[in-house]
Amino acid sequence: MSRKLFQRFWAVAGAVSVRTKILGIVLGSIFLLGSAVTFQARYALGSTLALRLEEQSISIARDLAARAADLILLNDLVGLHDLLNETLANNPNVRYAFIVTPQGQILVHTFQGGFPLPLLNLNTVRFDEHHHTVLLRTDEGFVWDTAVPILDGRIGTARVGLSDASMRAALTTLTAQIFLTILLVSGIGILVAIFLTWVLSRPILDLVAATREIAKGNFSVRVARWADDEIGDLADAFNAMAGELAQMEELRRERETLRRQLLEKVISMQEEERRRIARELHDSTSQNLTSLIVGLRMMEATCQQCPSQTRASDLRAIASRTLEEVHDLSLRLRPRVLDDLGLAAAIERLASEWEKHYRIPVDVAVQLGERLPGEVETALYRIVQEALTNIARHAQAHSVGILLERRGDYVRAIVEDDGIGFEPNTKFGERHLGLVGMRERAELLGGKLVIESAPGRGTSIFIEIPLTPFSSSDEKAEKEEWRV
Amino acid sequence: MEVTLIRRWCLALLLSVLLGTACSPLPKTEIVGYVDLNALQPLPTPEQKGILPLRVAIAAVISPKGTIESYSPFLKYLETKLNRPIELVQRRTYLEINNLIEHGEVDLAFVCTSAYIQGHDAFGMELLVAPQVNGETTYHSFLIVPAHSKAQSMADLRGKVFAFTDPISLSGRVYPTYLVHQLGATPETFFARTFYTYSHDEAIRAVVNGLADGAAVDSLVYEFALRRDPSLKEKLRIIHKSPAFGIPPVVVSPLIRPQVKMELQSLLLSMAEDPVAQQAFAAIGVDRFVPISDEMYESARQLMESISFSGEP
Repeated sequence: MSRKLFQRFWAVAGAVSVRTKILGIVLGSIFLLGSAVTFQARYALGSTLALRLEEQSISIARDLAARAADLILLNDLVGLHDLLNETLANNPNVRYAFIVTPQGQILVHTFQGGFPLPLLNLNTVRFDEHHHTVLLRTDEGFVWDTAVPILDGRIGTARVGLSDASMRAALTTLTAQIFLTILLVSGIGILVAIFLTWVLSRPILDLVAATREIAKGNFSVRVARWADDEIGDLADAFNAMAGELAQMEELRRERETLRRQLLEKVISMQEEERRRIARELHDSTSQNLTSLIVGLRMMEATCQQCPSQTRASDLRAIASRTLEEVHDLSLRLRPRVLDDLGLAAAIERLASEWEKHYRIPVDVAVQLGERLPGEVETALYRIVQEALTNIARHAQAHSVGILLERRGDYVRAIVEDDGIGFEPNTKFGERHLGLVGMRERAELLGGKLVIESAPGRGTSIFIEIPLTPFSSSDEKAEKEEWRV
Repeated sequence: MEVTLIRRWCLALLLSVLLGTACSPLPKTEIVGYVDLNALQPLPTPEQKGILPLRVAIAAVISPKGTIESYSPFLKYLETKLNRPIELVQRRTYLEINNLIEHGEVDLAFVCTSAYIQGHDAFGMELLVAPQVNGETTYHSFLIVPAHSKAQSMADLRGKVFAFTDPISLSGRVYPTYLVHQLGATPETFFARTFYTYSHDEAIRAVVNGLADGAAVDSLVYEFALRRDPSLKEKLRIIHKSPAFGIPPVVVSPLIRPQVKMELQSLLLSMAEDPVAQQAFAAIGVDRFVPISDEMYESARQLMESISFSGEP
């Protein structure tokens, strides 16, 4: 039950802003205090006034009884009536006064034009009593009615009724005053609450803003310590955290730069090595194999009909095949055409070789104009090469399209196939490593690589590489966004 | 959304405050019932009494409250003996009582000596009996002053404040006026100020309280008051005592039926033999009632004539 109540309370209190909470606390306290004070003050004043009214009714009735005695004895009804009316006029609380004879008849009274007869028997006093006071509920509120015997009741009884109207008026005035005070204090309370909110929420809002800055990657942001309290401690902790983050970010950047440099070096060394091996294969191994073939052909020719002739012929066939394979290998390692004739020719050659080998039609469209920088050509060639290797291995494609075009100060390449496609977010497997290598190559030159694919929908790889000189350690954030 | 919630909470708080303030402290006196003070009805006319009461007037020799206290046992006795309700009639002045007697609005009356003389001479007020006090049917006028006063006679009260009892009181007005005349003055010029107390015990109180520097009072009332409150002896001093006058009598209206007069006279005279009546006598300081004739009042009548007393103040 209490848990449910708390939940309901929190559904309301938790949903409002800090400003509203503080306002609620301040106003709530004022109203609670105000209502308690009002209740207490009304109670205390009411009790006192009630007691005083009762005492007053007794003293007025006693006085009236004493002064009425002679007038009753002298049968001075006019004087008696004057006395009653004077009593009424001089005591604003007195609602009525009247004299009852020992026979129970009303001698004189202060009502105009009649008498409320039920009043007569609501209060009686024994002759040996000092007085008798009762409380009457009337249409005008409570009335304290006191009866006092006159001359020990031998000549009658004086009755006086005191209305609580003045008491109620006093209580109403008191309540109104307290209410006014509460309103005034509430006004001040609202101002105080607004100030408090400002004092409390401003550092918190600062922290929120700083947190957003950090989320954006701006680790240099710091917040001011406003006050020496919990929020101040939070600001300190926040600043310490921002410092740590900045250091870590610095470290990460250094590592990234180092990694990139290493990668660049590895790639360039790899290319260099491939180029050297390719040249070696072409220049030395191919020459040697050609010499071998020529030698074998000569051996064939010189020794007709000898048993070694067939053998030489077989060997020559093997050597020729090996030469072809070496030639192929050399081409794959580093096609000379890329260095000699440029990217366009190299891609076309690569595509036709691939088409021939895998019997899948490749549509190549190249518009590059003059030659591109060497590292760009190498990178694009390797990316397209890797893409074609992937297609051959995984895609089960029926056709492949390669587009290469120069657009202003960047080169754009698209490799697409109509194969089985894949889930591009896959983080595992050989293919993933291949894709990462392609992307690394593009990014090392400040470019970007985007893969669009879905199972059964084919695969498209978009590559853009800028042609302006580019320092590889910059523009980290921008590249992050391109990672899919 | 937020504003609605705040409003709802504020409203709830406000309501609780109002509810809290609405309940006033309940009075501790018992509430006996409800009455509509504005539902006014005409008062019922008092029912007619079956038996006509005997109306007894007592002149304000002593104050109305003193009178009812003193005369209650006596009236009770009469009520029992006559088997008839008694209605006590009191008035502020002797003259008012005389008027009632003259018109038969009272049957029996205790009046002052001068009131009797005035009533007898004016409309034939009839003597019934006279009270005997200390074996006497006479009384005096005592000229009293506060105990610390240096006055030794009326002459020393010149330029002082003097309290008269009733305008036609023999001991309270006629005799002191006579004394002033003897000094060749009138009360109006002789005293700085005079006022009426309308009863002898009030005149004594006026002197005791220093309201008056002197007063002339009925010796019977004086003795009676002294018996009731002996401390008065230290507060008052008698500086002059008048010659004896006929005691204030019990009278009847000239309009009373003779049988009733006879019945009342014999009842009052027989009270002396009735042991039950002694308590009533003690309360009014009377030994017994005795027959009396008009001659007893001759000296008083002469005194009144000597100052050309008209009965008007």
